[in-house]
Amino acid sequence: MAIPARRRIADVLAFGFATLATVFGLVWLTWILWTTLSEGAKALTPALFTQMTPPPGSSGGLLNAFYGSAVMILLGLLIGAPIGVAAGTYLAEQGRYSKLASVVSFINDILLSAPSIVIGLFVYELVVRPAGHFSGYAGSLALAMILLPVVVRTTDEALRLVPNQMREAAFALGMPRWKVTWQILYKAARSAILTGILLGVARIAGETAPLLFTALNNQFWSATLNAPLANVPVVIFQYALSPYDEWHELAWAGAFALTAFVLILNLLVRFLARKGARK
Amino acid sequence: MKDTTMALRIAVADTATTAGPVKIDIRDLDFYYGDGHALKDVSMGIPANSVTAIIGPSGCGKSTLLRTINRIYELYPDQYAAGSIALDGRNILDRRYPLSDLRRRVGMVFQKPTPFASSIRANVAFGLSYYERLSKSEIDDRVEAALRQAALWDEVKDKLAHSALGLSGGQQQRLCIARTIAVRPGILLLDEATSALDPISTAKVEELIHELREQFTIVIVTHNMQQAARVSQQTAFFHLGELVEFGKTSEIFTNPREQRTRDYITGRYG
Repeated sequence: MAIPARRRIADVLAFGFATLATVFGLVWLTWILWTTLSEGAKALTPALFTQMTPPPGSSGGLLNAFYGSAVMILLGLLIGAPIGVAAGTYLAEQGRYSKLASVVSFINDILLSAPSIVIGLFVYELVVRPAGHFSGYAGSLALAMILLPVVVRTTDEALRLVPNQMREAAFALGMPRWKVTWQILYKAARSAILTGILLGVARIAGETAPLLFTALNNQFWSATLNAPLANVPVVIFQYALSPYDEWHELAWAGAFALTAFVLILNLLVRFLARKGARK
Repeated sequence: MKDTTMALRIAVADTATTAGPVKIDIRDLDFYYGDGHALKDVSMGIPANSVTAIIGPSGCGKSTLLRTINRIYELYPDQYAAGSIALDGRNILDRRYPLSDLRRRVGMVFQKPTPFASSIRANVAFGLSYYERLSKSEIDDRVEAALRQAALWDEVKDKLAHSALGLSGGQQQRLCIARTIAVRPGILLLDEATSALDPISTAKVEELIHELREQFTIVIVTHNMQQAARVSQQTAFFHLGELVEFGKTSEIFTNPREQRTRDYITGRYG
């Protein structure tokens, strides 16, 4: 029963190609991390987190950008996640067999792959132009609209993964749908839904195009959301295009911080997913 | 002489229990999965406080019959039933019959254990706190009573706050039974409730069925004919959506009237 040589060669080749592909993928990731780290090393000081974005030719940090990004991501999350979870629940539960739900699901998929610059322009027309100025609110709204379809899709899928037997067992006890959803299905799908939300946050953390048209940027400290608000992606964009070395370094440092943030979020996601699987 | 009268009396007593008042009166029941006609003009009266076994080859409609009695099939839009199922005289297939009332009175345990992702205590208390306003200590008492009835108390009494997902398959299934009887339904539907269990757990659940039949009207679907013979007083044999024969278990298994029943219980098909 010796394995034919042809199969053994095919096995070795397939394994070799798979390994090469993995290495190829990892090379870019480490290269990106290394480049941002080494180029931004000079700016990676405590000042990065304590000082404002500087004018050309002087040193500074990214505190206002970090603050603006954090606030807009948080507000975007607060708007987008609950609506997304609710809509995903509708698709997976109440509307599972309805025509309306399949239409909504289809449109959600379009929104999911819509270029983010389109969403930026949409919010520009919707909020910025009527208000007459750029603002953190507009930025949050744009981020929420990018987060929303991600959360809708992942919540939908997470709930569909809950076996029908569990649904039937809960309904067989005579529970109304809201109670089954709230106390049984959300509990069973909790880590998968949370994973989706965190992936959504990772996605909006790096979005630049929608913020260019909504929050714009702000060279100075400004806590209010009702005015242009500094944020990491747009600062990186503007500083990287500038002719000043200090700005370049800050842009690299910002890029590194952003990549590290997304990396940590993804690790958290893996951790949550594994915890969910072990349950 | 004395022996004969004893035997007679036992036989009479046996008949009396099996022919008790009809609890679930099924009349002219048809059931459809979309275009599939799964139950064809089924009529049978399931007596109270005894165990009725439903047997038959796969796809004969036996699970479908159970799923009709608590209307769980309504979760799926393309399934529907026609005819009537009277529970204590009221037709439960009537849309006006409130689902939560029905399902409180008709508990169901499924083939696969389905513990919810919460603690053992919360699993059992889940239905309780919905139907009744109970204090915490009352809930604790009812949880304990249900777990004792389900012969699980001794195994879990020290870990009520632990996740139910950490229990073994057999324990999970008994937990599901405890969860179901905690709300005190009058009727218990068991859909192949032991087919995923090892022999020891199966024996425990069968013992449990024996004990519960005093208080409950139990309908059990099973692939295992020995089990049907062991635990039930009546047996119904279904084939291709039709009720072929329904009678006392002892008669169905020793002296069936229909050729198809005879073929099935002697293992010709199924």
